[in-house]
Amino acid sequence: MRAYVALFKSNMRLTLRDRGVLFFNYLFPLIFFFAFAELFHAGVGAGIAYFVSTVLVMGILGNGLWGAGMRSVQEREANILRRFKVTPISPLPILVAAMVSGWLLFLPTLVLLVGLAHFMYGMPLPANGISLLMMATLGVCSMRAIGLILAAVTNTMAEATIAIQSVYMPMLFLSGATVPAAMLPKWAQTLAQFMPASYLVSGFQGIFFRNQNLGDHLPAVGALLLSIVLGLFLAVKLFRWEKEEKIAPRSKIWVMAVLAPFVMMGVWKTYSKDHLGTNAALYRNLQRAGVFLIRNARVVVGDGKVIEVGSVLVRDGRVAAVYEGAGPDPDSLRAEVVEAAGKTLLPGLIDAHVHLAASGGVSTDAQDYDAAKTMPRSAAALLYSGVTAARSAGDGLDGSLKLRREVADGAKLGAQLFICGPMFTAEGGHGAEFIDRLPATVRDSVKAQLVRTPKTPEEARKQVRELKAKGVDGVKAILEAGWGQGMLYDRLDLLLVRAVSEEAHAQHLRMSTHTGDARDVADAVEIGSASVEHGSWRDEIPDNLLERMAREGVYLDPTLGVAEAYGAYYSGKDEVLNRSMVQQVVPAALLKGTRAFVASGKGADAGKAELFQRALETARANLLRAWKVGVPLVMGTDAGNPMVFHGPSLHHEMQLWVAAGIPIEVALQAATVNAAKLLGAEAHIGAIRPGMDADLLLVDGNPLQDIAATERISLVVFKGERIRRAALFEQK
Amino acid sequence: MDSPILVEALTKHYGNLHAVKGIDFEVRAGEVFGLLGPNGAGKTTTVEILEGLRSRSGGKVRVLGCDPEVQTKQLKDRVGVCLQANRLQDKLQVGEAMELFAAFYTRTVDGNQLLKRLQLWEKRDTQYDKLSGGQKQRLALALAMLNDPQVLFLDEPSAGLDPQARHEIHELVLDLRREQRTILMTTHYIEEAEKLCDRVAIVDEGRIIAIGTPREIQEKVLAHATIEIELTAPLGGVTLPRWPEADDVAVDEARRKISVVTGRPARIVVEMVKWLDAQGIELADIRIKRPSLEDAFIELTGKSLRE
Repeated sequence: MRAYVALFKSNMRLTLRDRGVLFFNYLFPLIFFFAFAELFHAGVGAGIAYFVSTVLVMGILGNGLWGAGMRSVQEREANILRRFKVTPISPLPILVAAMVSGWLLFLPTLVLLVGLAHFMYGMPLPANGISLLMMATLGVCSMRAIGLILAAVTNTMAEATIAIQSVYMPMLFLSGATVPAAMLPKWAQTLAQFMPASYLVSGFQGIFFRNQNLGDHLPAVGALLLSIVLGLFLAVKLFRWEKEEKIAPRSKIWVMAVLAPFVMMGVWKTYSKDHLGTNAALYRNLQRAGVFLIRNARVVVGDGKVIEVGSVLVRDGRVAAVYEGAGPDPDSLRAEVVEAAGKTLLPGLIDAHVHLAASGGVSTDAQDYDAAKTMPRSAAALLYSGVTAARSAGDGLDGSLKLRREVADGAKLGAQLFICGPMFTAEGGHGAEFIDRLPATVRDSVKAQLVRTPKTPEEARKQVRELKAKGVDGVKAILEAGWGQGMLYDRLDLLLVRAVSEEAHAQHLRMSTHTGDARDVADAVEIGSASVEHGSWRDEIPDNLLERMAREGVYLDPTLGVAEAYGAYYSGKDEVLNRSMVQQVVPAALLKGTRAFVASGKGADAGKAELFQRALETARANLLRAWKVGVPLVMGTDAGNPMVFHGPSLHHEMQLWVAAGIPIEVALQAATVNAAKLLGAEAHIGAIRPGMDADLLLVDGNPLQDIAATERISLVVFKGERIRRAALFEQK
Repeated sequence: MDSPILVEALTKHYGNLHAVKGIDFEVRAGEVFGLLGPNGAGKTTTVEILEGLRSRSGGKVRVLGCDPEVQTKQLKDRVGVCLQANRLQDKLQVGEAMELFAAFYTRTVDGNQLLKRLQLWEKRDTQYDKLSGGQKQRLALALAMLNDPQVLFLDEPSAGLDPQARHEIHELVLDLRREQRTILMTTHYIEEAEKLCDRVAIVDEGRIIAIGTPREIQEKVLAHATIEIELTAPLGGVTLPRWPEADDVAVDEARRKISVVTGRPARIVVEMVKWLDAQGIELADIRIKRPSLEDAFIELTGKSLRE
């Protein structure tokens, strides 16, 4: 033990006397830190954490590879180690002391960088400081282990320089330490997964940006630990005291042993492709960090209040402050400015009723019906249109949950999603009608993903519990008898739907019920639905039922647009395809296919057209009466139905409401704060208040005078990121 | 009591290169023993095998009863070593070096006392790269003595030093000799061997070609004085007499120079001059070469000792 302490003390003394070491360990990282921070306008806030991670990893690579590696080669080549060889010590204390002193040397860098970033650039201190320290420790020790092995297997300084350089350079540039990993080509991102530094970068960024701890990086922690142990063991075995002792070329293969844990990680990642999402998500965090002030806009707060000239400060993904007037000097806030005079700032819109898997278009290309492609596209189209959140009221369970997670992680960019998953309906009922037409091979799996058709109340309850366990946000049931025009459905037994509702309540899931007529609405309210989807398209909802809805706070989601769209579809009218926003979000081929189909008249059906035209009128009348009675309103589109396109349809829905006589501010609230309440997310979204997610829609003009102004989108902010809207559709 | 150092039939080869080709010697307790020989003779290899730095190819070796290859660690704890090619970190101070190395041994003497004794006390806060060659060598000696070793190995202790520094090192070694420590040293300076060593082994091409006290070796060399007589005219056809105690008699091709190797040069010179005078041969010059130890080396090894 005495030898360990003495060697450690001696190492520390020598190191602190070495100006080169001090420069590379302390000054060099600081220079890079300030250069990066100022060059890339990190501004203030969490964005600086990205550069802290960068500089930490650069420091660790330098400290480990050059510090440990070169120094031990140097001491061997200069005949210094020879003197130690004639004393009764073994290599182990020398190697351990080298590792520990390197680690201690690095700690001030860590403290200094985090401190500077915090005090000078306002970076929030990481919540998991211990994890940060541990990750840095693992990083320094594993890099030093690799450095020691490289020293052990090289015969001269020149050889060592080449060996270290060839490990150092790729790690520096491919690991995400210097260039964000997400900006590299996919092959390079995958290659980087074979390098330990990549795990340090994602570890640090995870700790800084996502409040992760070591537990979230267990495989990487294991690999780093293993490399330390293997590295030390092999460095002892291969230790050479004298330059005259040359190592056989085949012994160089031992380097691979130390890197083996990362080869395994790399192979695993190549197979799992996790890292691509992780890299994209970390890049997302960087985009979401930062500070900007949207200045001099008309601010529609969302709860009915309007600030005629106001400013909103966004910091690190959230609304930090809302000001009357121009707000404080942006320089004093170190904030960028988004000048918004003459514009109107709204909370990001929320569509309470979409189906992500269907595009809304008609196509002959099977790809356009592949949910793996259509769902992310729908989410992107929603966000493009300023719809920053949406509820999927019926989609394939696994696919929609996966997309929700990817969006939440930031791996994919799209509207924030709330998922109901499969719909509860009768065997052969609405929502399940097409399943019998599917080929037998896929029928069962599609059915399991899309619908639940319980036969008994017990089964219904069990299915709700299973969905809850899967992580759904709500439950959707269908009460629909249909029309006698080839659209008749078996209606879900009331006993069953009541069991669904009761279990949903027990599981703290909001129940939304699709209804077709006033009787369905009455039943939906009776069983305790949180929202009535569509309301009645066939008859008037009685006043006393509306009054009950108002009293009990049952939301009405009238979905006028889908009624209108079906009317147009069966009439062979394609004007909707000419709308500007539709043409922006719908791919040209799909637009063309849809237009061709409508023009062909294959879908035309005068009887159905007439039914849906009447349905629209009935739905409008019910909406107006519901509003007058005080029924809480939310806005949904049922996007995914023919010619109801994700995004544009919500803007059109608002226009339909206003045309029906609903005041603009009521329509806006239905599409923002009310929808947020229905989704149980009003603490985070649906209004512009300090502490809320920075989900914002900035439009030209004043939608309070002309609701169509919402389509003149100037800027969409999602979780604090100013979205490059055109790039949304280029996501792979 | 067994001799602290015993070497029997020691061999060492690196691949095809035979560095040590069978060496036998022993170093008795309290004795300063020198391995004297030209560069590349195998001296350092031999010493490093004894220090436990290198493995041997054959033969038997014991240092303080230990086999250096087996009980390496115990041995290193008990011996002191002053290496030929070695240095310390540039920024390491003298006092810190003592402190660091002291931590490696189970038993140590007071480092400060050592520094004072080796006149390094004033330099204790000086960094290694600021020391002179002599100071560095004294520090190497101080480090070698840290564990109060019974056996010291000094590999070329004064190589590359100026005369003053060399003198200081010599005084220190003589000090150690007075303390009755067992010392095995290598050198290629004859004066050093003569001055410091109780006994010397002359090593060349991996073999010991002479062993004994410096005086014994000196005497062996002195026994071979050469008398050279140059003549004014060629010797002609006369036969040279057989002078008593002349070991070797030779005449050059021109028959104008007579060389005689003998242990009794003074006596034979008289005989030779008498005989030449009797023959009526005139002498041009007369020389008696009494070779130095160094000449003896050249004679014994065919190599120069100087670098």
